[in-house]
Amino acid sequence: MAQARKMSANEKLRHDRLTFYKDDVEKIDKLLAEFLRLSGAKCALLIDKEGHLVTKRGELRTIDIDTISALVAGSFAATKEMARLLGEEEFTAMYHQGERDSIQLSLVGDRTLLTILFDDRTTVGMVRLYANETAKKLAEIYTVAMQRTDPDQPLGEAYGNDAKKRLDRLFD
Amino acid sequence: MVQINFALKEVNCKIVFYGPGMSGKTTNLEIVHQKAPEENKGELTSISTDGDRTLFFDFMPLDLGNVAGMRTKFQLYTVPGQVYYNSTRKLVLQGVDGVIFIADSDPDKIEENIESYQNLVENLAEYGKDIRELPHVIQYNKRDLPNAMSVEELDKRMNKFGVPTFEAVAYTGEGVFPTLKTLAGMVLESIDRMDSRSARKPAAQPAGGRPAPAGGPQKPGAKPTPASKTPANARPATAPAPRGQANAPRAVAAPGARRPAAVPPRAPAPAAAKPARAAAAPQRHGSVGLVITLTVLLAAAVAGAVFFFTQNPV
Repeated sequence: MAQARKMSANEKLRHDRLTFYKDDVEKIDKLLAEFLRLSGAKCALLIDKEGHLVTKRGELRTIDIDTISALVAGSFAATKEMARLLGEEEFTAMYHQGERDSIQLSLVGDRTLLTILFDDRTTVGMVRLYANETAKKLAEIYTVAMQRTDPDQPLGEAYGNDAKKRLDRLFD
Repeated sequence: MVQINFALKEVNCKIVFYGPGMSGKTTNLEIVHQKAPEENKGELTSISTDGDRTLFFDFMPLDLGNVAGMRTKFQLYTVPGQVYYNSTRKLVLQGVDGVIFIADSDPDKIEENIESYQNLVENLAEYGKDIRELPHVIQYNKRDLPNAMSVEELDKRMNKFGVPTFEAVAYTGEGVFPTLKTLAGMVLESIDRMDSRSARKPAAQPAGGRPAPAGGPQKPGAKPTPASKTPANARPATAPAPRGQANAPRAVAAPGARRPAAVPPRAPAPAAAKPARAAAAPQRHGSVGLVITLTVLLAAAVAGAVFFFTQNPV
């Protein structure tokens, strides 16, 4: 609690909010597309640690993205506790192996997870190799993006009023 | 932590149902899933034990739709209520934007309610969050129990910060939507407030506040209890209004809204001061001229007298 009180308004905003701008996401998309080409993986998702999707590239026809994002973030969070018990701060990579499809997770920066879905057309070694390189390049984009200050009222003034109408429509 | 994504044009918020074991958190989520329109809801995923107790979390995405050009989504989670699952509970709380605390109205469960609420406060503190600054509401569930505690007593024991509370019988659906609607409104309001706080330039601000996006009129089913007895000054600036006032239009970002109002009176002041100074200037010049004239006349008179006495010695 004391920690929360000591934060300045700007620090608190950064603590409470994660903003992605179009230019940065375009750069991220290019990197992910290149990663998929090199590694032969099916799909790459970048999600934040709270389980919200940031961006995606590749085949995703039958997957419920909201659910997979939440579950990936949940399982990553669970391994953090395991890491802590071993004296590590957190594990930076995870791998779930299936009979045909598998998932590789890599921590990017301190707030997002690179989630790669791949099948038997490639190997986990290839995926890991290129995933590590991509994670480093993504971290560089974040470093630049983090130094940018948010514009005033990025959501616009109409947001509050419109949200109220939408809530009425959904719940009444 | 709210995610604002301008590339996907999305706003994502995380809402967690918290509370002691068997208080009705999963039931609340199941009802939301049953009642929400098909186009607004995603799959309900449960990671539970064979005995139907939540092991890790239940999850359901709820899509509010397009809000001012941004698709706004709530990710709804429940936590396992049993005391010994605390590390799991803490994980689910990571990055939370709003909490619905589900309390059990059974008198035998009051200590469990209090312990769970205290646990929530402590777990949030570990993430550097102060519960008084986090949008949250309390739902008194199982109001149909014959020996249910009175709302007044529950308020006294549970509602330390005067947050909105709701009565519910979750398995029938009663009170579930009003609870979620109010909390969702508070979360969106807090995003708006963050925006206004970051936009501190008075010139960019409108003179008046905007109505908050907080929940509209409550349905009779919600049975909102009378206005909270908690004194207004007991609540922090960012805390939501107490019950009964929760639906009243509130000015968003009170600090931001007040600032511009204070600015205009100051603005004309320098303009008014300029003519006053301009009028004072000629007066000053006039008096200097008069002094110079008198001095010259006096000098001329003295010089004349000296000349006269030198020419006409007595």
